Amino acid sequence: MVVNSSPQVFLFLSQILGKKIIDPEGRAWGRVSDLVITIGELYPPVTGVLFLPSGGQAVSRFPWQKVKEVRDKLVVYPLTPQKQGEATMNEGELLLKDSLLDKQIVDTHGAKILRVNDLHLLKVNYSLRLVHVDVGLRGLMRRVGLEKATDKFLQFFVDYQLSDHLIPWRYVQPLSSPDLLRLKITQTRLAQLHPADLADIIEDLDIHKRSEVFQSLDVETAAETLEETDPKIQVRLIENLNPARASDIIEEMSPSEAADLLGDLPKDKAEGILKEMEKEVAEDVKELLVHPEEKAGGLMTTSFLTLGPQATVQEALDLLRQQAETLDLIYYLYVTDEEGRLIGVTSLRGLLTANPQACLSDLMDSRVISVSLEEEKEEIAERFGKYGFKAIPVTDETNRIKGVIPFKNLLEVVAPQLGK
Amino acid sequence: MIKMEEDSEKSSRKGVWKTLGIFFALIGPGIITSNVDNDAGGITTYSLAGSEFGLTLLWTLIPITVALIIIQEMCARMGVVSGKGLSDLIRERFGAKATFYLMIALFFTNLGNTISEFAGVAASFEIFGVSKYLSVPVSAFFVWWLVVKGSYKSVEKVFLVACFFYVSYIISGFMAKPDWVEIRTQFFTPTIHFEPGFLTMAVGVVGTTIAPWMQFYLQSSVVDKGLKAEDYQYARMDVIFGSVIVNVVAFFIILLCAVTIFKAGIRIETAEEAALALQPLAGKYCTWLFAFGLLNASLFAASILPLSTAYTICEAFGWESSLNRKFGEAPQFYGLYSLMIFLGMAVILFPDVPLISIMFYSQVINGALLPFVLIFMIILVNDRRIMGNYTNGWVLNLISYLTIIVLIFLSGAMLYTSLR
Repeated sequence: MVVNSSPQVFLFLSQILGKKIIDPEGRAWGRVSDLVITIGELYPPVTGVLFLPSGGQAVSRFPWQKVKEVRDKLVVYPLTPQKQGEATMNEGELLLKDSLLDKQIVDTHGAKILRVNDLHLLKVNYSLRLVHVDVGLRGLMRRVGLEKATDKFLQFFVDYQLSDHLIPWRYVQPLSSPDLLRLKITQTRLAQLHPADLADIIEDLDIHKRSEVFQSLDVETAAETLEETDPKIQVRLIENLNPARASDIIEEMSPSEAADLLGDLPKDKAEGILKEMEKEVAEDVKELLVHPEEKAGGLMTTSFLTLGPQATVQEALDLLRQQAETLDLIYYLYVTDEEGRLIGVTSLRGLLTANPQACLSDLMDSRVISVSLEEEKEEIAERFGKYGFKAIPVTDETNRIKGVIPFKNLLEVVAPQLGK
Repeated sequence: MIKMEEDSEKSSRKGVWKTLGIFFALIGPGIITSNVDNDAGGITTYSLAGSEFGLTLLWTLIPITVALIIIQEMCARMGVVSGKGLSDLIRERFGAKATFYLMIALFFTNLGNTISEFAGVAASFEIFGVSKYLSVPVSAFFVWWLVVKGSYKSVEKVFLVACFFYVSYIISGFMAKPDWVEIRTQFFTPTIHFEPGFLTMAVGVVGTTIAPWMQFYLQSSVVDKGLKAEDYQYARMDVIFGSVIVNVVAFFIILLCAVTIFKAGIRIETAEEAALALQPLAGKYCTWLFAFGLLNASLFAASILPLSTAYTICEAFGWESSLNRKFGEAPQFYGLYSLMIFLGMAVILFPDVPLISIMFYSQVINGALLPFVLIFMIILVNDRRIMGNYTNGWVLNLISYLTIIVLIFLSGAMLYTSLR
């Protein structure tokens, strides 16, 4: 066994681009203009070379297998001239310079949008694979042609060595064309991000890429991401979708967020989406739409549980378990009489620690603090501060419960006023 | 559905008011950019033009307005269509090396401009009897604080209000009681004197009105507004309106200095001297208005220039650049911004600093950089991959090329005369 028989060499794309191509007899063929990789593997292999033939105009392509050696020049086995047709691209192939170099990518590990300064390739035997994306200052200086000068300068003045900033390819989501987002392999990469981070990234992208990225997400991720996105951008993203897909996404959102969003949309668009939505969800949302956004009626959600006072703790827990996944609020269970009037409240903690056979009327707290539909957000914030609830119920003039304001909903309205 | 009813009411009120309503919702970028253009350097140049050559240079404002509209319109269109800033497009199209040197040049140009803005602050405060050792640090801190601690929305509002204060120049123009018949004749009769002083001044007026940073700033703010291609007509109105306004202000400054200082045969070298020379000729209120206008312009430009530079550079290199981030999240952005303000302030506080040559050389680099930016722009705006169907038509291309050739010629002429 000879261990060192496979020499591993790291190369940068910037070092390969523009290299002269010669065959073993020393005949010049042209210069490298781009490399083709085939996406799919963890470290995608370079499968083709695009080159500008000497004196020629059109870019031609030859397979990477033709490469014999990478030195200061690219040494190739004799190319068959008739094979030099136009440079066509196949499904699943990607041009390194054209779609990655100098373009924006998402680093799904660090949840950031970055610009590619260089690409880091590993040469093992005769294959060349893409391993890292270089986003650091060092890569930039290399492209500019000042890598050595910068090193000397920094060494001399601050005794500091500029380090490479490389991101493994598996954390990279290219953005430059919509096709790249549709590829199965890359789609999962964006889904690795937390919806809140994804929302930040979408906000930072330009208007076209925003919709491209958003449309590449599955319905559930799209809904979660949309909830975290700035209202103005929400509207733009939804406007670009057809009503069917828009309604699918909005159905997945919490009713209060959905109502806020529909309220911001142009009237005909909002109605089109409501028509496409499941009846039950649409009814809930319509009810919330009546209320101004900044008052109790606009902040509340209708996705919570009520039960009669005769129900047992066991029944309540079963019901909760059944519906917990879709409910906006599970910490409180509200007790109402036959007319729907609010008569008491019990917390999840109360239910868990009570005797399963006990009636809700036995353990409920009948001193319920509620707010009216027209209550202003400042007043509501004060109640939250005073009583320390996780949610406050909203009632009409006849004390019928209309909805519940989870603390999270209030925070979204109040947070911008908290200052930086 | 309170919100929706409001919307439908709005859309039923058709015609002029609706158009105006949309216009005012979407204005900003063009008007702000144009007004920042009338900065300390601009006001100085216009004052000198009026006081040395009287009304003879007034006509140049007509072709300048046309050129300004043509160039800015291209930027606005690129912003709306591509959704990307100009430095972003340049980086993706022309690669790291070209972008790097362009950004270095832009940094120094804008730094020079920022220094002259603080010189303007110092000068205008000195007219009111405030020492520069007090006024400059306080203003620098105010500008820094406004942008770092405020949100962009509030900053834009402050800027729009600042635009309004340019009216002070128009009022002071009327206070000098000029002879309108003569002004009309001069305005519509192009006069050229083939003497170096006159030509240099003409080039100076052009150079100060069409500066490299403007294209970057305008395009980024159009992108920030998130305008859609359908709204493009409003962006164009905004640009045209702004370009006309900027030249109206320039018109009144030249006029004011022509009918007072030029008539009296006084020689001045700075805007401060112009303001002081106005006192015996047009009254002390005229001086105050002039000085106030200078202060407003300088402060306004001193906040925009460093901001625009930081945005542009960070965008080109893919660094986090947003006022919504904290200092630690966007160190390059805030670092560049703060560095420019600090250097701009520090240079002015140096005793015996040669202000006139600093201003002069910053104009010279402006002139040297402009052709490159314009060439990049015309290539980008004609690139179908970026602009789709929104590339220049042949008429527009012809006019643009002519404009650019004339501007390149003038910039060259200015470089030649200044470096000889």
